[in-house]
Amino acid sequence: MKRLIKLRVNDKDYELAVEPNQTLVDVLRYTLGLTGTKKGCEVGDCGSCTVIMDGKPVNSCLVLAVQANGRVIRTIEGVEADTGLHPLQVSFVDKGAVQCGFCTPGMVLSAQSLLERNPKPNEAEIRTAISGNLCRCTGYQKIVEAIHDCSEKMTR
Amino acid sequence: MLLPKFDYHEPATLGEACQVMGDLGQKTKALAGGTDLIVNMKKKILSPACLVYLGRIKEMKKIDSSNGLFKIGAGLTAAEVAEMEEIKNNYSALSRGASCLGSPLIRNLATIAGNLVSARPAADFPPPLMAYGARVVLKSSSGERVVSLDDFFKGPGQTLIAPEEILTEIVLDKLRPFSGAGYIKLGTRQTLEISLVNVAAFVSLDGPDGVIKTARIVLGAVGPVPLRAPSGEKALIGEKPSEALLAKAGEAAAFDSKPIDDYRGSAEYRRAMVDVLTRRALNEAINAARSNLN
Amino acid sequence: MSEYNVINSRAPRLDAPGKATGRAKYVDDMSLPGMLYGAILQSPLAHARILNIDTSRARSLPGVKAVVTAKEAGLVKYGVSPARYDETLYCHEKVRYVGDELAAVAAVDLETAMDALSLIQVDYEELPAVFTVEQAMAEGAPLLHDDYPRNISAEVHQEFGDVEAGFKQSDLIKTTTFVNKRQDAAFLEPHGCLAEFDLFGQLTLHTSTQVPHYVMRTVAMVLGIPVGQVRVVKPYVGGGFGPKCEATPLEMSACLLAKVTGKPVKMNYSREQVFLHSRARHQFIHTITTGVKKDGTLMALTNECHLEGGAYTSFGIATVYYSGSLLGGPYKLPNMKYDGYRVFTNRPACGAQRGHGGVAARAAWEQQLDMIAVDLGLDPVELRLRNIMSTGDVTCNVLDMSSLGMKECVEAVRDGSDWNAKRGKMTKGKGVGIACGFFVSGAGYPIYRSETFHSTVVIKLSEDGGTAQLLTGSAEIGQGSDTTMAMIAAEALGIKLSDVRVTSGDTDLAVDLGAYSSRQTLMTGHATKEAAEDVKRQVIEVLAQELSIPPVDIDFKNGLVVFKNGNVDFSKVRTSYIQEHRGWTDPPSGDLTFKEAARMAFLAKGTIVGTGKYKPGRLGGKYKGAAVGTSPAYGCSAQVVEVTVDMETGKVIIDRMTDAHDCGLAVNITSVEGQMEGSLSMGMGEALFEEVKFDGKGKILNANLGEYKIPTALDMPNVKTIIVESNEPNGPFGAKEVGEGAIMPTIPAILNAVYDATGVWIHELPLTPERVYRAIQQAKK
Ligand code: FES
Ligand code: FES
Repeated sequence: MKRLIKLRVNDKDYELAVEPNQTLVDVLRYTLGLTGTKKGCEVGDCGSCTVIMDGKPVNSCLVLAVQANGRVIRTIEGVEADTGLHPLQVSFVDKGAVQCGFCTPGMVLSAQSLLERNPKPNEAEIRTAISGNLCRCTGYQKIVEAIHDCSEKMTR
Repeated sequence: MLLPKFDYHEPATLGEACQVMGDLGQKTKALAGGTDLIVNMKKKILSPACLVYLGRIKEMKKIDSSNGLFKIGAGLTAAEVAEMEEIKNNYSALSRGASCLGSPLIRNLATIAGNLVSARPAADFPPPLMAYGARVVLKSSSGERVVSLDDFFKGPGQTLIAPEEILTEIVLDKLRPFSGAGYIKLGTRQTLEISLVNVAAFVSLDGPDGVIKTARIVLGAVGPVPLRAPSGEKALIGEKPSEALLAKAGEAAAFDSKPIDDYRGSAEYRRAMVDVLTRRALNEAINAARSNLN
Repeated sequence: MSEYNVINSRAPRLDAPGKATGRAKYVDDMSLPGMLYGAILQSPLAHARILNIDTSRARSLPGVKAVVTAKEAGLVKYGVSPARYDETLYCHEKVRYVGDELAAVAAVDLETAMDALSLIQVDYEELPAVFTVEQAMAEGAPLLHDDYPRNISAEVHQEFGDVEAGFKQSDLIKTTTFVNKRQDAAFLEPHGCLAEFDLFGQLTLHTSTQVPHYVMRTVAMVLGIPVGQVRVVKPYVGGGFGPKCEATPLEMSACLLAKVTGKPVKMNYSREQVFLHSRARHQFIHTITTGVKKDGTLMALTNECHLEGGAYTSFGIATVYYSGSLLGGPYKLPNMKYDGYRVFTNRPACGAQRGHGGVAARAAWEQQLDMIAVDLGLDPVELRLRNIMSTGDVTCNVLDMSSLGMKECVEAVRDGSDWNAKRGKMTKGKGVGIACGFFVSGAGYPIYRSETFHSTVVIKLSEDGGTAQLLTGSAEIGQGSDTTMAMIAAEALGIKLSDVRVTSGDTDLAVDLGAYSSRQTLMTGHATKEAAEDVKRQVIEVLAQELSIPPVDIDFKNGLVVFKNGNVDFSKVRTSYIQEHRGWTDPPSGDLTFKEAARMAFLAKGTIVGTGKYKPGRLGGKYKGAAVGTSPAYGCSAQVVEVTVDMETGKVIIDRMTDAHDCGLAVNITSVEGQMEGSLSMGMGEALFEEVKFDGKGKILNANLGEYKIPTALDMPNVKTIIVESNEPNGPFGAKEVGEGAIMPTIPAILNAVYDATGVWIHELPLTPERVYRAIQQAKK
C-alpha cells in the first residue's frame, strides 16, 4: 500500500505517494527526475548514490523512501548555486577531478559535507571522507587536489 | 535491484515498537540502519513480510553515565559512536571499531543494534564491546532482559534475541584506573572491508607498572561467532606485561581460535594472524591502561 | 612557452561542468514516453543441455508485452572477430556458463519483467563442466564448442630470429612461471541501453558503449536490418576500460524487444550482471625463459602462455596475439618465440581490458628481468638502460618505434624517485621497484577485415561564423576525447577552444571505430585536424578573394586573422559584415576576426563544411598475425613504486609512485596526468586486490564491489607524474597514446618493490596479505 511522505529536497517541498519497498535513490531519480544521483551498485559498495540526508552523506540506495519521510535531502542538483557552479564544482573542473563523471556527484557531496564540518581538512581527512566513494578513473589524486583547492579558496 | 514487497511500520516510541513487534511476530524484522538488512533483501536472501523501522525512536539514541555504568543507545550510528568525545576518551577501542566499520557513508546509517543483531562473524562492534564486558538490553512488551554480549551470539546471523524483542541499549562498566583496550582490524584494503581477522583486547593492571589483573581477548572472523580466547587471557593474569608475555598470549589465542577456510582467506592464515593481531591489540590495551589514570 | 595556442595546455574539460553538477545525461537518466522495461533470463548452470523452454506462464502475466527466446531471435552468429563468430543472442542447444542468456522479457515495469523471468520454465540436462585451463585441455574433457578440439579457441605460434642460437650465446638463462587472476573492469556505471524504432522502421539505440560503430554493425547483423537503418547514440558513459568494446546481449535484446513490441525498451545490467557479462581481463599463465649475456645484453626470449578465456571467444584472438607481440619491446631483443593458447572454460567470456593482452606478460617479464639483474649483480635500472630501444628502432616482430622516449622515461623516474638512494638501501619491509612498458596508439587494423577509414570527422561552421561544430562518431567514455578533439580542431583552425562545440558518439555523424586500443587521440585526432584544415582552407580562399591577396598570406590565430605580409586593408570586409549584422551585439573592432571571415565564406559558398579522415598506412610484418600489435605509434612508460610490507601480516601498502610517460605531445596536460594516475590505480588494484572468484560450480562468489576490491582513496597514494614529450611523426601535432601504456609497468614495479622490501619473489597475483605472508614464511624455511 502506498504511503504519503514529505521530503524537502534541495530546499523544495514534495509530497509523494510511495510504496514501502521503493528506495530513496529510485524516488529521487525516477519520480522526481533528479538523475544526478547515480546508481553504481545498489548495495552500498560504491557511493555513487550519495546524498546528504539531515546533514549527513549517506548511500541513498540503502534508504527506503518512507524512512526519509520528513527529512531534509540535498542532491547534487542542490549544490549548484543560482549564480553558477559552487566553488567545489569549480575546483573539480579546474583540477581535472572529473573523468567519466559517474562518481562525481557523490564525490562532490561527500566533499561538501566534509568542508562543512571541517573547512581546513588535511590530506588524510580528505581521503577518509571520500573513502566510501569509489572512483575507477582518476586514481583519486586530482579529486583530493580539488577538495584541497576549494578549502584553500574558501578559507583564505 | 528491487526490494520484495513488505508492510512497513514506524513506531515513535519504544513502547509502541515493542507493541508492534509483539503483534506481528515471526515474519517481522526490525529495521535500524538498513545497511545489512536492505542489502540482504535486495539480494533476496531475506524477505520479511513486515519491517518495523526503529530510526525514529529517540530513546534509542541516548547515552547515559550514572551509577558507575555507561549506557549507549543501540540506535546510535557507527559515525555517532566514533565521534562521541566520551567514547573516544574512555572507550577508545570502541571508537576505533566504530570508525573501521564500512565506509563514512555506511557509518552514517549503520547502527550498533543492527551490527550486533545481524551477527556477522567479522563485524566490527562485537570484539571491542565484548572486550569491555558489554551487556545488551533486550526489550519486549512483556519486559526486558539484560544479556552479556558473550552469550548473545549463536552463529552466523543468529543471536538469542527473540522475534518480538528489540535490542535497545548497550551497558558498559565505567573503566577503572589502569585499565584499557585495543582493537585491530586486518583487511585487504584500507577501508570498505570485511575483516580477515579482527581482535580486541582489554586489560586492567594493578598499577602503572603493575601486573595484569584481568584480561579479555576477543577474536572476530575466526569462528561462527566472535570468540573469547580463554587460554590467551589466562596466560596474562598475574603477569607483568612484556614482549615475551604478549607473544605467549598471542600463541595461546591462536590456539583458541576456530577459523575455517573460505574464499576470503585460509584457516591457517587466519590462525597465524590471530597471533599477530592479539599481540598488537594487547600492546594497545596495555598502553591505554597505563595512561588511564581516571 | 608552448608554440601552440590551444593544445599542450591544461584547458578544463568541456564535459566537466555538466558532470560536476549532475546535469550530464547517462543512459539510465533518459526515458521515453511509453517506454517498457526489459530483463534477461540467465542460466543458473555452468554447462547444460537445454531440453525445453516454456514461456507460456510468463507471456500470460499481465503487463508483459513480449517474451523472446532463440525461437524469436533466430540463430545469427556474432562475436568480435568474424573469424570466431561463436555466439547467438540466446542459447538454443546448451548453456555454457552461469549467466549465459536464454530469454528476454519486456513489460510495463521492471517489477513485472522480473516476475515474468521467474515464470519461465527451463528444463536442463546438466553436463560436466571445465573451469580451468588444465581441466579444459585434458584428454577427453567435455567440449564447449564441438568444432574446437581440446577447447582451444585460438592458438598462436611465432618465432622471430633464432631463439635456440640466442640461448646458446647466453651466459644466464632464467625461467619463471607467472599467473595473474581474472579481472573485472569495475567501471562505475553498469551497462544500460534504450532502444526505439520509429514509425519508418528506423532503429535508434542509446547505449553505454565504447564503440557505437561496432555495436551498430552487430545489431544490424543479428536483427537482420541494414546498417543504414541503425543509429547508435552514446550518451555520457561511466567508464569502459575494455569490456564495453563489443555489442552486448543487453543491447541486442532491447532492440529486438523494441522491434517486437513497437515501444521503446530500456534495459540495464545489475552490478552482478556486469560481472557475469564480464569480457574483462583474462587469466594468463605465462612461462617465460630469457637468455642474457653477462653484461645483461638480452639474447633470446621464449614465452608460452595459456589464457583462461571463458565460454566464448569475444576479443580472444586479439588477446592471445597481444600477449606475445607486446614483449617485442621496449628492449632490443633479437630472438623471440611465442606459443599462445586461448582456452574455452565454462565461465563468463573474457575480452579486452586496459592494456589488452599485454599486462600479465609485461609483469611476468619485467619481474624476470629484475631477477636476472639480481643474479648478474646489476642495478635493475642499469640492466634496462643497457637494452633500451629508442626512436627509429624496429622490434624483431616488426613493430616500428617511430618515436620512443623510453630511455628518458627510465632516467626520469630513477631521478624523480630518488632511486639511487633507496634501492636495496631501505630498512627491512620497505622497498622500491622499477619496470617499463609500452602500448599501441590505436590498433593498426579494424577488428573486421576492411579498407574502411578508422575515423572520419566533419566540422561545420555556424552561419554567423562564430562556432565550429565538430561532428564525430568517437566515444567520450571519460578519457576526455571530446575535449582533445575540440583542442585539436581549435589549434588547427586558429580559433579559441570556447568557439568549438563537439557532438560525438553518434553513428549518424561520422565513422569512428570507437574508444579502444588508445586510438582516439591519434586516429580521430588526425581526422579532426584534417577537417579543421579543410575548413580553414575554404575560409581563407574566400577571404583572399575578397581582399585580393594570395591565400598563403592569411592565417588564423586565437580567432583573429593574421596577415603574414603586414597590414592589409580589410575595411571593406568589415563594413559589409557590420551591414549584414545590424542590431547584432558584437560589432567587431580592431583586428579582423575569424568570425567575420567565416561569415564572408558562408555568404559566398553556403554552409562551410570540412571533412577529415584517417586510416593508417600498411603496418607490420608479413607473418601470420602480424597485424596484432601494429600501430602507427607507441607510447611508453617507466615507473618506480615504493612499498611498505608488514612482515608479520603480509599486508602491502603502496607509499609512493613515480611515473614517466612518453605520450608524444601532450594535447591536454591535465588529461594526460589523469590517464596516468588512473592507469596506475587500476594496475595497483590488479596487483594487490582484484580477483574474480568462483565456487566449484562456476558461480561467481564476489560479483559486487564490496568483495571485488578496487582501490579506495585510502589505498591509492599520490603519483608523481612526469610527462616525457617525444615528437611522434605519425601523430597529430606529434601526439600519441597515454591511456593504456601507463598501466603496463605498474604491476611488475610493485612486484619488484615487494622483492626489495622482503627478499621474496612472488609469481602469482594478487599480492593479498595472505599470499605475501605465505611467501615470506616459505622463504624462512
Ligand atoms: S549505488 Fe548506492 S552505494 Fe553504490
Ligand atoms: S571519474 Fe569515472 S569513476 Fe570517478
